[in-house]
Amino acid sequence: MNRRFLGALSKIYPGERLLTRDVELLPYESDALTAFQTKPGAVVLPENADEVIATVRLCHEHSVPFVARGSGTSLSGGSLPIADGLTIALNRLNRIKRIDPQQRIAVVEPGVVNLHISQAAQPFGLYYAPDPSSQSICTIGGNIAFNSGGAHCLKYGMTSNHVLGMKVALADGSLTEFGGESLDGCGIGPDLVGLFVGSEGLFGIALEMTLRLLPIPELYRTVLAAFDYLGRAGDAVSRVVASGLLPGAIEIMDRLAIRAAETVGANYPDAEALLIVELEGEALQVEAEFTQLRELIEDSGAFEIRTAQNEDERARIWKGRKSAFSAVGRLSPDYIVQDGVVPRSRLGEALSQINALKRSYGLEVANVFHAGDGNLHPLILFDGREAGALRKAEALAGEILAMCVELGGSITGEHGVGVEKRDYMPAMFSEAELDIMLALRQAIDPREIANRGKMFPSGEAPALKMQGMHPLERQGLISRE
Amino acid sequence: MIANEKDIQAFVKAHARLHVRGRGSKPALHQVDAPALDLSGLRGIVDYQPQEFTLTVRAGTALREVMAALAEQGQYLPFDPLLADSASIGGAVASNLSGSRRHRYGGARDFVLGASVVDGTGQAYTVGGKVVKNAAGFDLAKFLVGSLGRYAIMTELTFKVFPDVPQFRSLRFRYEALAAALEASYALNGSRFELDALDIVPGAVGAELLARLGGFRETLPARVEGFSQFVSKATAPQQVEVIQDESSLWDCLAGLNGPCLAKVTLAPRQLLALDAALDGANRRYTLAGNSGFVACEDAGWLDDVLARHGLRGLLLRGDVPCPLLGLPLENVLAARVKATLDPLGKLV
Ligand SMILES: Cc1cc2nc3c(=O)[nH]c(=O)nc-3n(C[C@H](O)[C@H](O)[C@H](O)COP(=O)(O)OP(=O)(O)OC[C@H]3O[C@@H](n4cnc5c(N)ncnc54)[C@H](O)[C@@H]3O)c2cc1C
Repeated sequence: MNRRFLGALSKIYPGERLLTRDVELLPYESDALTAFQTKPGAVVLPENADEVIATVRLCHEHSVPFVARGSGTSLSGGSLPIADGLTIALNRLNRIKRIDPQQRIAVVEPGVVNLHISQAAQPFGLYYAPDPSSQSICTIGGNIAFNSGGAHCLKYGMTSNHVLGMKVALADGSLTEFGGESLDGCGIGPDLVGLFVGSEGLFGIALEMTLRLLPIPELYRTVLAAFDYLGRAGDAVSRVVASGLLPGAIEIMDRLAIRAAETVGANYPDAEALLIVELEGEALQVEAEFTQLRELIEDSGAFEIRTAQNEDERARIWKGRKSAFSAVGRLSPDYIVQDGVVPRSRLGEALSQINALKRSYGLEVANVFHAGDGNLHPLILFDGREAGALRKAEALAGEILAMCVELGGSITGEHGVGVEKRDYMPAMFSEAELDIMLALRQAIDPREIANRGKMFPSGEAPALKMQGMHPLERQGLISRE
Repeated sequence: MIANEKDIQAFVKAHARLHVRGRGSKPALHQVDAPALDLSGLRGIVDYQPQEFTLTVRAGTALREVMAALAEQGQYLPFDPLLADSASIGGAVASNLSGSRRHRYGGARDFVLGASVVDGTGQAYTVGGKVVKNAAGFDLAKFLVGSLGRYAIMTELTFKVFPDVPQFRSLRFRYEALAAALEASYALNGSRFELDALDIVPGAVGAELLARLGGFRETLPARVEGFSQFVSKATAPQQVEVIQDESSLWDCLAGLNGPCLAKVTLAPRQLLALDAALDGANRRYTLAGNSGFVACEDAGWLDDVLARHGLRGLLLRGDVPCPLLGLPLENVLAARVKATLDPLGKLV
């Protein structure tokens, strides 16, 4: 790294918050997409927005690429360092500045962990709705960059639908604010919040955000239904949707995912497919909806139906689903989590194609998906110690994504493009569309220093490495529960 | 008559400045001195998949037509676009105007999935996607919500839609002062009730809180009872009334007469101070006090009031050259998008 740049950084940061030695950099070498590893030039640990702003300005001045990092749980290489670039780790900007229950909002810093917001809002009967499975560790800054979702996005939307206002340092160091405390968000004028959310760190760094909170539902009704045929579970979803019900969550797991869930003691029925449907809202309304839901599911040929009678049983139903990713890790030395979207009515078709593909590749694939919005998460199992295994798994993943686009869907529903999917962007977007996105990026970040090498095709590919645990996992700092 | 994308591209190429017009339901937005690109001929539903909860429609299509097609399948646009009888769907999105039912699930931004556009250089492309969930690429479709046709011309829009509820019940609570009505809305915000709409209507004396509950026929009476009891206990209204013929209550612009009409975006904490300054103007607050509609005599006066309160407004009706009221909208990020999509500044 350039000495003058490092010298200037050391004027902002004391030694213990400016990491440059190899051992210090190791935990930052990758995110949760462990196939990619890159050593950053340095890592800084700012403690407030002013330090972040000064750092971004310095990067711009010296044309040093930087990547913002939350908890490094990105599954697409979004927070992968840039070789010889700067990693700006935001975990210390973790203050919840204000919870305003009367206006139902929270004002927070980017390093706040998703779940901590709901915990802080809980005494007021409120919660923060988007619930990625990684919510106990991932940060709101990372959620914003990827427009992260979760199991409960069908009814209330993804991260973007819950951000009202932001303060941002753009990549060239200019500061801007948009939206505010109104539930109407930007309200008048273009929706800048909507544009920033999902920009994968390519526009700059979000410094503060105002979030919408929702009332904790009075009642949840959670149903687990077991099927002896995956297609039947899919048909059940179509029936639920056609009935006019609007569940908070509709999830499906296939046989292998169910088997994986057993390793975390989920205690699910032995089935080809499991369907989880959750209703939420005012008790009287939910009870009435539940009667209807139960009839629908009974008619759809489920051989076993379980209904959570209390919060404990509800948690048990969700436990297996929410830890499915890590559980698959117990079945196989390595795996790739994929994330594609197809129109809901084509889920069945998508699954049979995945089945055919996995057979032709000779690989195992476990399927977990947000069936309500057609968001697939195929988990491709392989053994990274076998020569060529990773490449083969990546190739299968690529075919699955191509299929998603062909069926009229998307290459990512919530994990973002990052490094992993940038070469699939042309499958989804025309040249004109990609050009305009690139032009936009260059207008906002003329030196292309913010998260360089991500989202856009081409750009030099970082070396693929052996799979294995995340450096933070190895140190026991995070786990994929 | 503009009938397709090619016509639009040709129009853009042929003009140095132009102004996009849907069906012209908000006259204050069209007092620009530039040739109008009239999109009212660009109509029709392109694709509607009720089981996918998705709808693709041409931008100039009458809102009424879109809403009728959805209603046939028991579905609706949850952002409750305003001026259903006269507006186009594209105009509703470009002006980001929602009615009271926006309260339940969100605004246009929360339901726009993608768009086909022609930008200021005449290039045509699509932004966003056509499935209910998509995280690939920059979300320019959301950006265009509220953009007033100044960044790109939307030719086609794809929305997420939802099943509608079978029935509604509405209640009116009267308070001796606006502050008490606002406090009552705060109390409701902390409660477990999921309202379809919650409006605050100041009167000559005191104020009313209007609440709407939607759901199954069988459960509504008991829910209304429970809700009414909660509000009565928690907020001590002077009067409680269950409204029988309730649908007309929710035309939130009804009765807002006067030469000028504007939408205001605000936070509930700003409501009392703003309202005191608006004294005399006809007004109604929707979205639990997060949005307001004001009818008055003089747009210049409203512009001034809003600026003093650090707020922004959008004029729908009234005679001024610029419909943007209050705090200026200038923003560095928006400016860079403008420089990218419309470098020559054609779209005004
Ligand atoms: C076990 C497991 C389960 C998961 N489940 C889900 C799930 O259900 N749904 C889902 O959507 N995702 C899921 N993920 C993916 C991941 O958790 C999310 O993408 C999450 O939002 C990343 O947050 P983070 O704090 O770890 O961000 P990081 O990985 O550190 O960063 C992610 C991206 O955000 C950018 N960024 C971080 N902070 C900022 C900021 N302040 N301003 C601008 N850019 C910033 C980074 O540059 C990077 O591009 C899962 C991951 C794991 C490991």
